[in-house]
Amino acid sequence: MSNVDTIKNFVISEFLPGTAPAELAVDHDLLNDGVIDSLGVLKLIAWVEDRFELAVGDADLDPENFRSVEAIDHFVTHARAAA
Amino acid sequence: MIRWNTDQTDLREGLERWGEALSADHIELEEQGRFPEDKWKLLRDTGILSLPFEEEYGGLGQSLLTTMYALEGLGEYNRDSGLSFSATTSICSTGIPVQHFGTDDQKQRYLPLIASGEAIGAHAITEAEGGSDAMAMTTRATRDGETFVLSGSKAFVSNGPIADVIVVYARTHPRGGPLGTTAFLVDRDTPGLTTGGCGKKMGLRTSPLCELYLDDVRVPRSAVLGRVGGGLMVLDHVMKREVLFSFVVNAGEMRHRLERCVAYAKTRQSFGRAIGSYQSIANKIVDMKIQLESARKWLYDTGEKLEAGEDVTVDLAIAKLVTSRSNLATSLAAVQIFGGHGYMSEYGLEQDVRNAVGGTVYSGTNEIQYNRIASMLGLGAGR
Ligand SMILES: Cc1cc2nc3c(=O)[nH]c(=O)nc-3n(C[C@H](O)[C@H](O)[C@H](O)COP(=O)(O)OP(=O)(O)OC[C@H]3O[C@@H](n4cnc5c(N)ncnc54)[C@H](O)[C@@H]3O)c2cc1C
Repeated sequence: MSNVDTIKNFVISEFLPGTAPAELAVDHDLLNDGVIDSLGVLKLIAWVEDRFELAVGDADLDPENFRSVEAIDHFVTHARAAA
Repeated sequence: MIRWNTDQTDLREGLERWGEALSADHIELEEQGRFPEDKWKLLRDTGILSLPFEEEYGGLGQSLLTTMYALEGLGEYNRDSGLSFSATTSICSTGIPVQHFGTDDQKQRYLPLIASGEAIGAHAITEAEGGSDAMAMTTRATRDGETFVLSGSKAFVSNGPIADVIVVYARTHPRGGPLGTTAFLVDRDTPGLTTGGCGKKMGLRTSPLCELYLDDVRVPRSAVLGRVGGGLMVLDHVMKREVLFSFVVNAGEMRHRLERCVAYAKTRQSFGRAIGSYQSIANKIVDMKIQLESARKWLYDTGEKLEAGEDVTVDLAIAKLVTSRSNLATSLAAVQIFGGHGYMSEYGLEQDVRNAVGGTVYSGTNEIQYNRIASMLGLGAGR
C-alpha cells in the first residue's frame, strides 16, 4: 500500500468513517473545514510519528505539513529523507 | 479503589492544621472581593503549591494522584474557595505546562518560582468574542526575526491582576486550524502588556480575574512554550490536569459540606425531633453522599487512567460534568437543610452556591463537555 493510501485510510477511519477512499481528494483541506479538530490533530501527529517512525520532535508544527493527505505524504517523504 | 499509603495520608492530614488560618475571615474577604496576600504566604508555607513539580526545581515530586489527594484535602480544610482556585490556577496554568513542555532554561527560570509560590501564574485563552471555540481566537503572534509580536486581548484571566507570568495562547497561522495556535510565556512587566476590566463576579471573589491587553507585546523566540503551532497540545495537557486538580478541590469542599450537614441535621430540632430524622432531609444528605462519592470515583479513576497513559477524553468530560453538577447540587441542598440560616451570608453556604456555578463554566463549559462525549460516540458536530 502506498503512503498516500495508508494516510488516507487512517484519516477516513479516524475522522470520516463511512467515506469511500475515492471520495476523499488527496488535496482536501483537513484542517480548515473541521475534518480534524484540536483533539484529532493530536491523534494524527502521534500516528504519523509512530507509523512512519519519525520524530516530529521539537520542530515547528507547520499546519501546511498536515493540511491534506498529499501534504502529509510530502512531509513524511521529506522528513524520512532528511533523517 | 485507591488505597492511600501513610505518606499520602500524612501529607493530606498535615493540611488540617492550616485550615483555620487559611479560612479566617473568608466571608468578609469574599464580600470585599479581595485577594488575601497574607494567606497566599500561608499557602506557600503549606507546600501545596510545589506538590507536582520535580524536586530538582524546588517541587515535592509527587505523582498526579498524590497531588489530587492533597488538593482534595485543601478543599476539605480551607473555606476560602477563591484562594484554592488561585492556587490550582497558578499550578495548572504555568507550572504544569512548563514542567512538561518547557526548555531547560524555561524550567530553571519559572518552575522554582511557581513551585514556591513566589511567582503566581495565569493563562489567557478566552477572548471577549468567545471562549468555547478556542480555535477561533484572534489574538495574533507575528514572527519578526527572532521575536514574536503579540497583539489582541483576552478575557476572564484568573489570577490576571496578581500574576507574575501569564501563558498567552495566540494565533501564529491564520489558516492553521488546530495547528495555528502557539503558547507563549509572557512576563508581567513585558512592555505592551496591561490588565483591566477586573469586574465583580458571582463567586470565587477572592480569586481576582481580569482582561488582558496585548499591544504589540514583543517576546523572544525562547518564550514559546512547546512548539510553534502546538498551542492546543499544550492546552490539552493543561486542561486535563486543570480539571483533575481544580475539581478535586471541590470534592474536598463537598466532603466538608456533607459533614456539616450531617452534624446540623442531627442537632437541629423541629417538631421536637432532629431534622435528620425526617426522610426528606435525610434523603437530601444521602444524595449529597452519592454525589460526593460519584465525583471522587470519576476524578480518581480518570487520574489513574491518565497516569497509565490511557485516552481520557470521555472520562475527563464525565468527571468534570459529574463534579461540577454535584458541587452545585450539594451546595443548594446545604442551603435548604440549613433553612433561613443557610440563606444568610454569615453561614458561608450561599457563597458555596455562587462559587459552584463557576465550575459549570470554566475549564470548558458543561455544554462543551457534552459535545465532547457526543463526538466520541460519533454524534453531533464535535468540538
Ligand atoms: C470563574 C472563571 C474563571 C475563568 N478563568 C479563565 C482563565 O483563567 N483563563 C481563560 O482563558 N478563561 C477563563 N475563564 C473563561 C472560561 O473559560 C469561558 O467563560 C468559557 O470557556 C466559555 O466561554 P465564553 O464565556 O466565551 O462563552 P461562549 O463560548 O460564548 O458560550 C456561551 C454559551 O454557549 C454555550 N456554547 C458555546 N458553544 C457551544 C456549542 N458548540 N454547543 C453547545 N453550547 C455551546 C456555552 O456552553 C455557554 O453556555 C474563566 C471563566 C470563569 C467563569
